[in-house]
Amino acid sequence: MDFDTSSGLILLAALLFLVSILATVITPRLGIPLLFVFLVVGMLAGEDGPGRIQFHNYALANLAATAALAVVLFDGGLRTHLHSFRTGLRPALSLATVGVLVTAGITAAFCTWLLGLSPAEGFLIGSIVASTDAAAVFSLLGAGGTALNERVASALEIESGTNDPMAIFLTLATIAYLQAPDSFGIVDALRMLAWQMIAGGACGLAGGWLLMRALNRLRLGDAMYPLLALFGGLTIFGVTALIDGSGFLAVYLAGIFLGNRSLRAAASIRRFHDGIAWMAQIGMFVILGLLASPHQLVDVIVPGLLISAVLILVARPTAVVLALLPFRFPWREQLYISWVGLRGSVPIVLATYPWLAGLENAQLFFNVAFFIVLVSLLIQGTTVAPVAEWLGLRVPNRAVRVHRVDIDLPGQRGYEVVSYRVPPDSKLIGMRPKSLPIPDVSRVICIARNGKLLHYREWGNLQAYDYVSLLAAQAQLDVLDRVFESISAPDEPVSRRFFGEFTIDGDAAVDVLCESYGLPLPPNAAQMTVSQLMLKHLPHPVVGDRLRLGDIQLVIKTVDGDRATKIGLRLPS
Amino acid sequence: MRIAEILTADRVSLGHTFSSKKKALEELAGLLAKGVDPNAAGDILGSLASREKLGSTGLGHGVAIPHGRLAGVEDSIGAFMRLKHPLDYEAHDSRPVDLLFGLLVPQGATEAHLKHLAAIAEMFSDENFCQAARAATDDAALYKLVADYKPAG
Repeated sequence: MDFDTSSGLILLAALLFLVSILATVITPRLGIPLLFVFLVVGMLAGEDGPGRIQFHNYALANLAATAALAVVLFDGGLRTHLHSFRTGLRPALSLATVGVLVTAGITAAFCTWLLGLSPAEGFLIGSIVASTDAAAVFSLLGAGGTALNERVASALEIESGTNDPMAIFLTLATIAYLQAPDSFGIVDALRMLAWQMIAGGACGLAGGWLLMRALNRLRLGDAMYPLLALFGGLTIFGVTALIDGSGFLAVYLAGIFLGNRSLRAAASIRRFHDGIAWMAQIGMFVILGLLASPHQLVDVIVPGLLISAVLILVARPTAVVLALLPFRFPWREQLYISWVGLRGSVPIVLATYPWLAGLENAQLFFNVAFFIVLVSLLIQGTTVAPVAEWLGLRVPNRAVRVHRVDIDLPGQRGYEVVSYRVPPDSKLIGMRPKSLPIPDVSRVICIARNGKLLHYREWGNLQAYDYVSLLAAQAQLDVLDRVFESISAPDEPVSRRFFGEFTIDGDAAVDVLCESYGLPLPPNAAQMTVSQLMLKHLPHPVVGDRLRLGDIQLVIKTVDGDRATKIGLRLPS
Repeated sequence: MRIAEILTADRVSLGHTFSSKKKALEELAGLLAKGVDPNAAGDILGSLASREKLGSTGLGHGVAIPHGRLAGVEDSIGAFMRLKHPLDYEAHDSRPVDLLFGLLVPQGATEAHLKHLAAIAEMFSDENFCQAARAATDDAALYKLVADYKPAG
């Protein structure tokens, strides 16, 4: 077959995407990260696989992967809720700066020694592999009945969005030094860092604001809003990068800015970007897999495994412990964050930079980085769920069974039409739609039963599997989700085992609690409420946090900001 | 531990109706006092009521397990009431309560006593048990149900 013609290339690209898309059906059951599968698809199509495609265009791969990364980060920003900043922001920023530097430093020292490179070259490898990818972690944890507690989840999520710019900076600075060791010094590097972050931050926020204005002001066809958002995001990336700022930081911040404002066509923008981000992920990994030369990887198996071991077992844990020192994370959570420092696409993309710069050992850097990503995806990727289980970090999640579809309300912003399916074990069954406990602004607009839309006189009482459509304010979607989530019986034993038999109020007095159960009164706690006591031990409490008091355990069931409102009481058994 | 060891037939009652949570706790304190000292009812009520201040002991599904500590008690003492009309008990699932199991433990409560409480909660999480308790026709049947109860699995 001749792949040099346009139609041949189109067919080839389509086939690679098709295989990758079909692979997403099977892999979740195997517990392997999808990213790994996409990489393998690329490698199979490549020079050493049955595909036999010779692809060595580093510049093209770099271009495609950089654009894809920008899209993925923009989408990640759109999905990041500001409320996750309460517990996640500061630890994540510490991980993204101090953590990345420590990871890079330790890995660099080992690479320098093992591979007999110069310290700067060793540091280049360390920088290349220093950033993490959390998307893989969350997709592997899945939408089962449990989730990671909020502190760990938001720290990992924000870390992976913000550590890419740092790793990219370190890589670029090291390359600049290697190209001109006499003229590029530490002061130049610091100046470069400051400018990247300042310009990236400013352009991201200003660009996000402008893009929001454009989306809300301009009268466009419905299909144009998601496209405006996408190319607006890419423009922000490009402009920032042109003035030597961090485009990745800018595009991520712009995404967060847009994702947390009331926006016209918000639902279709989200849905569109969901698809586009997947396309970018698949495209990026397949093309990076194509670029690799698996037969050369054989040469780096031993050093690759050793470096991976040091990265996973020494560098990352040290970085996590140091970076999280001021935040008093429980040791189980630190252990988990250390373990799930998954390496994704960024290291491979960064590994193409030395090629573009024409560095001497570029091939070695690429092969080592590629190998480390494979090892990380395989070893850490397949164990994120079991390790969370083993460390007891999974919290029974009550909001996962909502089945919601969003549609934009044309001409308005801040409102959407949402549709929920009433689950068979819902507490709403038998209620009249008018008496649903929903917020004021929202109202039921139609009900479909057995595939038929009902006249409002025929609504009657809600039945299982009814579709209820409501007009709702975007800000109230969380409240609606809670109303429509199921209270499912099978989950109750799980929830009781986790949160305990009884529930007390956060405002309950500690001394009364201790008096009731004959527990030792903690020092200085006589005048405190239980939520104040929790706050003393855990600066930002989240659902699932525990505190031992004598023979019983207190487990936070609900929080309002930093205040625990309902606390489960676990008795010894 | 079998729950039968902490309950006697004379501390089971069935068919009362109460106008408030407080009245129901008063009656329960009276029942519990039969196992200690008839004059202790007031202290028992105080202990139960003080525990309720932390948050309702309603477990959901119409079950509540009020509990407290009392000086002079040697071992755990239980009392069991089934109400004729379910009562608003401020339970977290907002459902009215018709099964109330009171538990009194010694002042120097140990881990073992807390385990009694856990075992009772476990018993009431068994739906078959609750169904049978709601179907029991008299005090004796209700007592026998608890006395013969064996945890599933």
